[in-house]
Amino acid sequence: MNSISGEGDATGDLSVLIIIPAFNEAQSLPGLIDQLTRLYPRFDIVVIDDGSTDATAEAVRRTRRRLVSLPCNLGIGGAMQTGFSIARDEGYDIAVQVDGDGQHPPDQVQLLVDAIAQSGCDVVIGSRFLSGGGYQSTLTRRLGILFFSTCLTALCRTRITDATSGFRAMNRRAIELLSREYAEDFPEVEAILVSHGASLRVCEVPVRMSVRSAGISSISRLRSISYMVKVSLAILMWYIRKRRASR
Amino acid sequence: MQVYGHALVFATTLIVCLFVLWLVRRHSIRERFAMLWLTLSVFLLLASSIGYPYLFEIAKFVGVPYPPSALFFLAIAGLVLLVIELFAWVSKLNDRTRILTQRLAILSERLEHVQSISSETTK
Repeated sequence: MNSISGEGDATGDLSVLIIIPAFNEAQSLPGLIDQLTRLYPRFDIVVIDDGSTDATAEAVRRTRRRLVSLPCNLGIGGAMQTGFSIARDEGYDIAVQVDGDGQHPPDQVQLLVDAIAQSGCDVVIGSRFLSGGGYQSTLTRRLGILFFSTCLTALCRTRITDATSGFRAMNRRAIELLSREYAEDFPEVEAILVSHGASLRVCEVPVRMSVRSAGISSISRLRSISYMVKVSLAILMWYIRKRRASR
Repeated sequence: MQVYGHALVFATTLIVCLFVLWLVRRHSIRERFAMLWLTLSVFLLLASSIGYPYLFEIAKFVGVPYPPSALFFLAIAGLVLLVIELFAWVSKLNDRTRILTQRLAILSERLEHVQSISSETTK
């Protein structure tokens, strides 16, 4: 069983970096940063502005939080990898990904951090399907998530229920790995495979998620199809590579 | 193929070959890509000149009823390979650009931080 409850503050002296990738999230970011700062005064926060065209950078500067602005849009994968590189270079013990759109409630971050500190897992995924509460996405997306979760459960031989969740925490080993290897588009599923391939332990904790507080989702209908095809191909290629390597 | 048509193919491939050499001399394209284009144009040059009689036999052997279409097929296959090679190169460049963009953003932020500290200490 790889699902863990994650209760109680077990972080102790561990340094934690909250990475917030953001693209045109000027409206939702100040509130999110404010909540995170109040809840976790010990944790550092860095916002990776992924080439936003709105006032995202100004909104973050006003909060006096750390801002790293990418000169052009790299996509969620490129933005997150920037955060992992910072966490690696500056020696953080734990990195937590919190999306800038408000879908990941700040009060749930501690669950992920505690799970990393207590369970011995290298990557902890916040799953909205383990608890059954909160926003669980549309039916078609849930079907897509079920498909990828089933594939990952079979390939990694560990129970994965929310393969596309971006609400995650990583320890030092995972930070070092993912700062080198992280897919540019739709990276969530591939990151689990890459971690499993490097013998890292991947676990899930139940979390509650919310509907995005502002802005529009980057995944339109056309992009959903592209997501399914691209990630399925990536899974297939990973499987072929793994088989060849084990021969 | 008529003599004029034959000469046209030969002249075109010769021009492509010379044009590629000219571009390499001007450093407009890298030797890596020039090699591919030169290989393709030299192959077409040979196929359309001394290889032309053999083309009929090869076409007959593989069951192509109109021999010049075998030449076109080979040319298109060569171009497809070139496009795939370019895709691979673009993917590699994309990876490099991504890493550079990330490093640039991180170093810019560090520079701003250092500058803000130094301006505070000089106040």
